[in-house]
Amino acid sequence: MTITLAFQLAIAGVSVGSIYALVALAIVIPFKSSGVLNFAQGEVVTFGAYAALVLTQLALPYPVVVLGVVVLGGVGGIVAERLLIRPIVQAPEFTLVMATFAIGLLIKGLISLKFGDSAASLDSPFDPEPLIALGLRFNLTSLWILACTTFVTLSVIGFFKYTKMGKAMRAVSVNAEASRLMGIRVSSVYRWAWGISTAIGALSGLLVAPLIGINPEIGHLILRGLLAAVIGGFTSIAGAVFGGIAVGLIETFSGVLIGSTFKNLVPFLLLMLLLFFRPHGLFGTAEAKRV
Amino acid sequence: MKTIFRAVCAFVLTVAGLTVSAQQQGVTADNILIGAFGPITGPAAYIGLAGRDGMNLAIKEINAAGGINGRKLSAAFEDDAHSPTRGLAAAKKLIEQDKVFMLMSVGGSNATAGTIDYVRDSKLIMYVSIASVPQVTWPFAKNMFRGGTTESARYGELYAEFLSTHFKTKKIGIMSGREEYPRNEGDATVTKLKDWFGIAPVARVEFNIGDKDFTPQLVQVQKVSPDVIAFLGNPAEAAIAMRQAKELGMKQPFFVGSNMVDPALVLAARTSAEGVTGFSLIPLLPGSKNPEMVKWQESWKKEYPSAPAGRPNNFDVMAYADMYVVADAMKRAGKDLTTDSMITSLEATKDFSVGAIATKRTFSTKHHIGNLSLVPMIVQNGAWEPVSWSSSRQSDILSRY
Amino acid sequence: MKISPATLFGVVAVGAFAIAGSFMGSYPIYLLSLAMINVISALGLNLLTGNSGQISLCHSSFMALGAYVSSLLTLVFGMPFWVAIPCAVLIAACLGTLLSLPTRRLRGIYLALATLGFLQLVQITLEEMADLTGGVRGLKVPQPTIFDGQPLNYYSIYLVVLAVCGLSILVTRNLLASRIGRELNAVRTSPHASQALGVSVDRVKLIAFALAAGYAGLAGGLLAVVVGFIDPNEFGVSAALKQITFIVVGGLGSVMGSVLGATVLSALPELLRPVKEYSDVIYALILLGFLIFVPRGLAAALERFALSPIRKRVWRRKSL
Repeated sequence: MTITLAFQLAIAGVSVGSIYALVALAIVIPFKSSGVLNFAQGEVVTFGAYAALVLTQLALPYPVVVLGVVVLGGVGGIVAERLLIRPIVQAPEFTLVMATFAIGLLIKGLISLKFGDSAASLDSPFDPEPLIALGLRFNLTSLWILACTTFVTLSVIGFFKYTKMGKAMRAVSVNAEASRLMGIRVSSVYRWAWGISTAIGALSGLLVAPLIGINPEIGHLILRGLLAAVIGGFTSIAGAVFGGIAVGLIETFSGVLIGSTFKNLVPFLLLMLLLFFRPHGLFGTAEAKRV
Repeated sequence: MKTIFRAVCAFVLTVAGLTVSAQQQGVTADNILIGAFGPITGPAAYIGLAGRDGMNLAIKEINAAGGINGRKLSAAFEDDAHSPTRGLAAAKKLIEQDKVFMLMSVGGSNATAGTIDYVRDSKLIMYVSIASVPQVTWPFAKNMFRGGTTESARYGELYAEFLSTHFKTKKIGIMSGREEYPRNEGDATVTKLKDWFGIAPVARVEFNIGDKDFTPQLVQVQKVSPDVIAFLGNPAEAAIAMRQAKELGMKQPFFVGSNMVDPALVLAARTSAEGVTGFSLIPLLPGSKNPEMVKWQESWKKEYPSAPAGRPNNFDVMAYADMYVVADAMKRAGKDLTTDSMITSLEATKDFSVGAIATKRTFSTKHHIGNLSLVPMIVQNGAWEPVSWSSSRQSDILSRY
Repeated sequence: MKISPATLFGVVAVGAFAIAGSFMGSYPIYLLSLAMINVISALGLNLLTGNSGQISLCHSSFMALGAYVSSLLTLVFGMPFWVAIPCAVLIAACLGTLLSLPTRRLRGIYLALATLGFLQLVQITLEEMADLTGGVRGLKVPQPTIFDGQPLNYYSIYLVVLAVCGLSILVTRNLLASRIGRELNAVRTSPHASQALGVSVDRVKLIAFALAAGYAGLAGGLLAVVVGFIDPNEFGVSAALKQITFIVVGGLGSVMGSVLGATVLSALPELLRPVKEYSDVIYALILLGFLIFVPRGLAAALERFALSPIRKRVWRRKSL
């Protein structure tokens, strides 16, 4: 393998990886604060892509579309949390996870009904001609995705570290009861967590649409996002992003080195090995077991 | 104890169902009921919904023109969700509960495959419009017919001939998806390239249906510099792959499998689709400027004004055409319509087509393969146009019968 | 010998279903067979998830193993189905044991993802070994025969599935009432207390996994025979998640839960046929409805609103 090829593959890997990173972020945030794994996150991405399609067809300029998708995603998440998650937050863990799965099915079904399954596409706001620098081809859309991912990641880290709500969220993730006793409105925290995560999920749908097209099945991305989240350790923001990029790179390189037959197997094999030997991922903190 | 016994008895009696009748079902004095199935939910819904709509449009027209020998035609439709388990349930329900005269499959191969044994034993006719699963026509069964889609092996024959003679090359690269249809096409093409032309593809790579990134496969193909790349999968994947190929600086023309010779490919791939070639199952694609297709599309849009973008698609046209084939055979079978008279009538079908929008159908008593022709096309200025090329070789398939 | 009312009810029910079946066409029988196969599968998954508390996203993979292994044993070695399926069950249980060895230390989302990884492994293997398994094209399953090649008709197959289902329910019920059953529940409730009381948590978790895999293999082998055609898609992630919905809606940890959940959610797609292309959306809404309004499962609701009052009334009468 030549150096040029390796770099080209690395670029492809990082671009697809940054999508996974966003999905992983969207999964980790509500998990970290409310302990709920949102199985509908894949469909949130799909929703984001279709929202972008609709808004673009209304001839709105791109920045407005981006804003619109983020707001719609966030509001949708908050509404879903209030109507559907809140009533069953006391239910056994499985019920909650299955409820998010059902919500995902619902979203996918509604989108299929309204838009049909024919492939649709979204134009990238950028020229499809790649940027050539240092003898390598850089896809402008991928660079934009990488830029957005970086921005979102830094914003989220900043949010958790410096804002009041962010600190409240961290407190709730450690101990909800104690936080409540300290005067933190836990229900408000949950709402924010869901809103942020669905906003991020919807944004990733918008970003990924020019690359992979728009159809109701793009929700399968959630599997890669879950993978990324585990690699990064389920409780770390930076870990989720790192995990996403890692999965993207692993996928791309193993596709060339091993052949596409087993390309999809490698991430999962690695996942299983990782789980067997280091279940808390590379960045997560091991749960202290109180006996 | 008594309560339990009573409850169970009540249950048994309530649950006792219907038995299968032995007389000709589905045909009454004024109505013929056919049963159709295909995927209308799930990832393949664009096939089943189109099949159903195309078929129903034809039925409406046929009834408006007076019906069939004094009877109206009607259809019951069931979802097979692209699964053999649900497909078999659909077939059983249609035959036993709805008591249809015959079945029409507008679904995919795996779901139809699940029904074949049951339908064969039921002795009722099944006419398969879209699925290419081999067991419909081989081994030969008197009550199974294949209409619009041609045999998997035929794709291989035509693809192989086109790739080597139209592009005048021995260096052919093949990318195929891991699903029944693309795999069949890929294997058949490779076999015929070898048998007829003595060529082995310089690259043969696979991808998963639903993949979003084809860089690894494209890189492998790029290494051996083929003169043409045959891509066998779905429009969504082709669009991504063709765009990525462009980004990698690959200049080879693409040839796509016949399920991608569809406006959906141009819609998804935009400029990357220019110059792509492929074979079409129908002589005119929706979106063509040919007056017959324009007229047909208008009547379709009148019937289905709120359909989503990308419709009507090829499956609408195919199911529409095949419904006419079936109706024509019913007419020729006469007033005394039974399974036997229908089979005889279908087997007498020779070069029937509803118009310029459909290929011709011919059946015989020896084989039930309705269509052996595919139309080569190329994308020019954003639309599929016919290419002037025709096959000069006889198909090997019929020699089996 | 004392037979409890529940067992008597069960025996009568099986008899009733058997007799009723002789009046029904192959469509209702097919649906009943599918429902019972799902019951068998749900029983196993409930032991694993509801009782021993281990979440598994690869239950459908063990069904796949059961289906493919038994079909191939018949195709390649000519084994009749009533030998092939038990063999497949054993093989599935062995693989379940192997998988449990590294995964029994994992919990929650980590365990879920490890099992998901296994599911992908199985899927890809099935698709890649196309010469053996038919790959994505699917595999035609030979018709089940007995003795000297007499093929079974759909009613006979139904009776076999009915018998196996009834036995599975009986076995599971007895299992849960026995020491193993108590150990399973103890391990879920408090692994530390169980360990302190001398229960080998690792061993119990392994047994649960092996049992679940065996049940799933059995369900898969029967599915292959009932439908006659299998493809890898039937056993993928969606199928695995559907299995979990059976036990969550039915009720975690109870036999009644498995039976109710599997039956109701198997019937639902067929009942939704009239709404055609809206069935996916309606299904999701109904599922969501179950989860929101009956969060502890149908079995618990049934217990609270129907069975418990009946039992109280019977008890009161008896004590007078």
